[in-house]
Amino acid sequence: MKRVAFIAHCLLNQNAKVEGGAKRPGMWEPVIELLRERGYVIRQMPCPELAFGGARRFWGVREQFDTPLYRRHCRRLAKLVATVIEQHTADGDDVVLIGVDSSPTMGIDFTPSAPHWAGKPDIAEDDSTLVPGDGIFIEELEAELAERGLPLPRSTGIRHWFADYDPAEELRRLESLLA
Amino acid sequence: MSDPRSRKVAVVADSLLETALDELAHEGFGIIQLPPGGLDRKTTAAWLEQTAEHVAEFRRNDYEVVLVDDGVHTSGLMAALAVLGVGPLPRYDTLPGLS
Repeated sequence: MKRVAFIAHCLLNQNAKVEGGAKRPGMWEPVIELLRERGYVIRQMPCPELAFGGARRFWGVREQFDTPLYRRHCRRLAKLVATVIEQHTADGDDVVLIGVDSSPTMGIDFTPSAPHWAGKPDIAEDDSTLVPGDGIFIEELEAELAERGLPLPRSTGIRHWFADYDPAEELRRLESLLA
Repeated sequence: MSDPRSRKVAVVADSLLETALDELAHEGFGIIQLPPGGLDRKTTAAWLEQTAEHVAEFRRNDYEVVLVDDGVHTSGLMAALAVLGVGPLPRYDTLPGLS
């Protein structure tokens, strides 16, 4: 039995973040190093936002992304991920999923919300809030897995963009997930 | 707002990811992982198609994109890139055993 971690694209490729959103030159090492220490096989998921909105997309919140077309795009990618999860599950592997809790797309427990964001992109201060809930891709992945009779793997989200980010808390949460 | 991204991306074969990670991380590369083996042909082609879409977007915005390849998906990836008007990627071959 292998231990397999499906991770948000940007954890292995910070270049996929929105401009201003990268924390590191290449990858978010705290997660990658922990997964390697624990012997996990890494499976990087696609970045729905990069493919859809491009490398120069504006920051966005869940309400902006929650359109039928974006959901179809996410579902197309989710089918690929679900196929690989299904294969690992059939092999009896232990599968976990790690998202990003400040993302409208890859959030696991939290996702950004600002119902008033629209129009000219000149918001002086980020007044979005992080609300409980999944990102759009995660919802579509869960739905795709459900159609295959599979649950969403146990999961958590990276919170390095939270104002009160606590690396020690995150490490404990990740260690609990990977135990 | 500062953003330390390297604007360097390596497209890495699944079989070489573990071998290449330390060096690519040291050099500041972000990674796009190629699909694992064992997938059916349709899923593999769809996975390479979305990989090519990522690569094309990075190239369109002048990011450096290199290939760390084991040959398994070379032709499929090149074909998917060609559909999007992107030529073959330069190979990153300074890793031991890759040159």
